[in-house]
Amino acid sequence: MSGPILEVRNLRTYLKTVRGTAWAVDGVNFTVEAGKTRAIVGESGCGKSITALSIMQLLPEPAGFVDSGQVLLDGKDLLDLTWNQMRDYRGRDLAMIFQEPMTSLNPVFTIGNQVAESVIAHGGTKAHGRTRALELLDRVGIEDPHRVLRQYPHELSGGMRQRVMIAIALANNPKVLIADEPTTALDVTVQAQILSLMREIQTEMGMAILLITHDLGVVAEMADDVSVMYAGMVMEDAPVREIFHNPQHPYTRDLLESLPSRQSRGKDLAVIEGSVPSATHWPKGCRYANRCRFRIDACEAAVPPLFVRGASEARCIRLDEIAEKGNTAATRIPGESGKGVVA
Amino acid sequence: MSAILQIENLRKEFGARGFLKKSAPKLAVDDVSFEVQEGQTLALVGESGSGKSTVGLMALGLLAPTSGKVIFDGKSVTDLNSTERLALRRKIQVVFQDPYGSLNGRMTIREALTEGMMIHRLGANTREREERAAHLLADVGMEPEVLNRYPHEFSGGQRQRVAIARALSVEPKFMVLDEPTSALDVSVQSQVLNLLRRLQRERSLSFLFITHNLAVVEYMADTVCVMSQGKIVERGSVEKIFDTPEQDYTRKLLSSIPSTDPDARRLTPAKS
Repeated sequence: MSGPILEVRNLRTYLKTVRGTAWAVDGVNFTVEAGKTRAIVGESGCGKSITALSIMQLLPEPAGFVDSGQVLLDGKDLLDLTWNQMRDYRGRDLAMIFQEPMTSLNPVFTIGNQVAESVIAHGGTKAHGRTRALELLDRVGIEDPHRVLRQYPHELSGGMRQRVMIAIALANNPKVLIADEPTTALDVTVQAQILSLMREIQTEMGMAILLITHDLGVVAEMADDVSVMYAGMVMEDAPVREIFHNPQHPYTRDLLESLPSRQSRGKDLAVIEGSVPSATHWPKGCRYANRCRFRIDACEAAVPPLFVRGASEARCIRLDEIAEKGNTAATRIPGESGKGVVA
Repeated sequence: MSAILQIENLRKEFGARGFLKKSAPKLAVDDVSFEVQEGQTLALVGESGSGKSTVGLMALGLLAPTSGKVIFDGKSVTDLNSTERLALRRKIQVVFQDPYGSLNGRMTIREALTEGMMIHRLGANTREREERAAHLLADVGMEPEVLNRYPHEFSGGQRQRVAIARALSVEPKFMVLDEPTSALDVSVQSQVLNLLRRLQRERSLSFLFITHNLAVVEYMADTVCVMSQGKIVERGSVEKIFDTPEQDYTRKLLSSIPSTDPDARRLTPAKS
């Protein structure tokens, strides 16, 4: 269990919009180690879902295109594959689950039908599909799988539907599971069950997870490595402990400080002023510069590369200076912040 | 300190749907009682379907309870005549989760902010009302230039500010906040929470804060009521509920919240 199973190199994806070409993903790099979880975290519109869809080659048509870059699964570049070849990979080596299980499931087919379909689509017989479906539903913790096989999506609760989605994703023992906001639509207690299930299955099957989320609590619970995305770029890439205990990029710091908690009661929360620049007209320099409290003129000259600091990499030219200042002026005690953090 | 809103044995049945076969009525709210003290925030927390929003609608007088009482400022909300009801509507305002849905897309921000003033005869003339609208916008951190624009031109956070300004336009004493930040990003959520806290201080507003986000509750609330299946299962101060919960349901809810410390994971066991 070593070495990356999935590697994304210099991925650039654009969307054609009425206001021009939007570079939704603009030079993204990261790796997912076999059996580990990489979280991509960021606020809405930062490009995290488009990154996931680019990997799966399920970009919205006809607007979305991968411009350049590589998506290496086990060393093989998925972007070189034809549509038909990619179909074989999807659902077999790479599987994906989405936020809203109701819209991802087909309302007119039974659950059994849809779980079996993913087995049959990759060469299994009908009989094998049925037995495997039963096995999978049982595996994702559905009580009375015989009954659920015959039910339709609308008869199930949100948590149950997400379990079914996971069952479908697991049908062919994928190497990588891409989970795009898998628990955002669920209640906290159900979220806790789904996250535990994902973790359990990962340990058992050894698959890697690429977890797309806006929820820093989910990141802290699940991730091994984290990419913090902002405005189409990875701003910081670090092991999960570093992100929470030793954030480097000003954006990561601001994000953590804006979380409400018991400790901040009676005080104002940190606020990120201004707004995200437009994807059709990215600024020339650092994309966070217009909102950054550490901004200097040099920040706006060019997009900063990722600088290494300890185990972290961050896209900031003042990384070392800020780290020294930040540690003395830290207002937030790591590990003692609030619970239930929803970004 | 006195109670501005008292809810007494509130009950709501939704019911008996179906054309040929009537289904059993569903008890959405079952014997709920609480008080909101003046200038304070009471948080109503619970999972979806627990009945918390239904309580909010009844407190607003937008939904008639099956039985029970809502007493606002000493007067029973349920048996008011229409003039009294209008006066009450001015004092209790609401901000919903979805600022797309709660602002009329065909009204400019100016119209949205002055409509309530016209109905409640606040401001002597159009000009005065517009001045007040501009002040309100400044108060929620927006430029007065946006008066001529439409809701779709704004981001979610900005729209939520407009929704708050609109609620404030009739100078309420009490606000029902139903998941006001659930649709917002964290960085925007912090702006809206700061704004609500400041407005509460400056105008001594009382809040009924309905949410499923327990971190926001810990930050904002004075008192917490935990709801499950239409009932309040536990109530108390933030400290009591979060530090020494007594009910199993409260404990289960609290233990479901993800930790923000990867060294102290709660939900998922560390990988071996």
